[in-house]
Amino acid sequence: MKDPNTVIVQLERISKTFQTRTSFLTGPPKGVVALNRVSFEILRGEIFGLVGESGSGKTTTGRLMVKLETPDSGKLWVDGNDITQIKGRNLKKFRRKVQMIFQDPYQSLNPYLSVFESVSEPLIVHNVGDSKTRKDRVRQSLHAVGLSPPDDLFYRYPHQMSGGQRQRIAIARAMVLEPEFVVADEPTSMLDASIAIHIFNILSELRKKFKVTFLFITHSLAAARYLCDRIAVIYKGEIVETGPAEDIIQNPQHPYTQALIQAHPRFRHAIKRNITRSRRT
Amino acid sequence: MALLAVENLSVGYHTRKGFLKSVQGVSFSLAEGESLGLVGESGCGKTTIGMSLMGLLPENAAVTGGKILFEGTDLLQLSKTEIRQVRWKKIAMIFQAAMNALNPVHRVSEQIAEAILAHHADISEEAALKQVESLFQVVGIPPDRMRDYPHQYSGGMKQRAIIAMALSCNPSLIIADEPTTALDVIVQDQILTAIKDFQKRLNICLIFISHDIAVVADVCDSIGIMFAGQLVEYGNVKDVFDTPMHPYTQTLLASYLTLDKDFVQLNSNPGKIPDLINPTAGCRFSERCALADAACSLNTPEWVEISPTHKALCSRFK
Repeated sequence: MKDPNTVIVQLERISKTFQTRTSFLTGPPKGVVALNRVSFEILRGEIFGLVGESGSGKTTTGRLMVKLETPDSGKLWVDGNDITQIKGRNLKKFRRKVQMIFQDPYQSLNPYLSVFESVSEPLIVHNVGDSKTRKDRVRQSLHAVGLSPPDDLFYRYPHQMSGGQRQRIAIARAMVLEPEFVVADEPTSMLDASIAIHIFNILSELRKKFKVTFLFITHSLAAARYLCDRIAVIYKGEIVETGPAEDIIQNPQHPYTQALIQAHPRFRHAIKRNITRSRRT
Repeated sequence: MALLAVENLSVGYHTRKGFLKSVQGVSFSLAEGESLGLVGESGCGKTTIGMSLMGLLPENAAVTGGKILFEGTDLLQLSKTEIRQVRWKKIAMIFQAAMNALNPVHRVSEQIAEAILAHHADISEEAALKQVESLFQVVGIPPDRMRDYPHQYSGGMKQRAIIAMALSCNPSLIIADEPTTALDVIVQDQILTAIKDFQKRLNICLIFISHDIAVVADVCDSIGIMFAGQLVEYGNVKDVFDTPMHPYTQTLLASYLTLDKDFVQLNSNPGKIPDLINPTAGCRFSERCALADAACSLNTPEWVEISPTHKALCSRFK
């Protein structure tokens, strides 16, 4: 294990295979290898990007780190503890430090809970403070994600809010316990481009303000480049390239990374000068 | 003559809070074989336009004005039976969520054959399945996967099957509503290549609806930028990208994350969604616009022609 003061998450030869369900019609179970001996580490305070296509194993990696899945083999340390065997009271303590933001804010928020109930729920589960301090914490958390004045939103329900607002509620819910490490699994893939950038800017503000470490899972190299310090590219359950974001974009080594860059949509025409102009105005 | 000419189209929805003016005064036209991209954020009315062209607006929607001239006839004047002759045979649609657009309990090939059989009484089932096979070749699905069920397909393959279904009756116009939004970049690239390919080869008109401006730049000849139910800039793709005139277009272009440019920190202020039940008489973008003055929020903006193939709805150019 590396020094937990600098390395917050460390994966060492992590493998995970899913068994397909068996039935009399489908025949014997088949193993689907989601991750094959994956090793990398995330440094304290950084935003680390995990980039890959659908089915590459990026979400499985994120779920392993928050202990929603258990690896078949390998070692996984989060904040100095080996979490592969963690159970009971230690697991609950661990869950307080680690949170997840899910892809689809239309499905990750309970439609029957008001904003206040949704955001304060983690505090109740972990028995934090009395009702007054909880209210303050919720207020702070909503404020941190740019939803203000927070009190106006307390008794609103998810269906009364836009996609961008819902995702910010989901982020507030993840941040309310002041976690050390947050996994954001494609938090903007259901949102418009301008709102996506707004969410990215909120995440990088939160990192600065609360010194949280983020794992940012995405299929867009451009988004990873915008937000992340370092990037790992994952393909068919294996990490093919890791390095500082800008290096990977400018000088991709692996053919798959090159293909990802090639596939990224770009403008046919020279629009560079217009962009600089419009930014000045 | 243009294949499709939309003139001053206005569509709204009856809601509990009042009549929501979703699309207002939108005009554009398409010649045979041309492709047009409609770009804008969620709720700007781009899907409503697509649905009006198909005659598939929901119950609570009402067209309050304008014309949709397709091959010279106004689609809005047609009866339900008459529009059924146009729908899918002449105008087909590639729907947004490919994963939900297929029926899970029927084989993919049968679903596409069903579309062919529904519109051609004289075709036998075998002939229809033969056609499906050649359609699958066009969109790049291996023929041995024809008899599979939708759940056996990947996201990209489902999207290809949906495209095959749209092509099944040889339409002259296809409306593609966010066909690649749920897909990752690699699959998106493949689907876009497939769309560009059939569009050129079969000389089909294409209306491509997306919130991704770079995708539209890649596929379309002309582009319409929409904001709050109105077109705000319209023109040739090259003109619009080389000299974006409307401040909203400029923001859209500036907020696009690319891999080509040097890194820049982007300013994000999504701003409020304009009220479409009681829209302002002035420019709808004025609240978010960095260049707006008091006059902008009072006076109704007018179209300014920048070149014969490029115009913008902004009063600052007068």
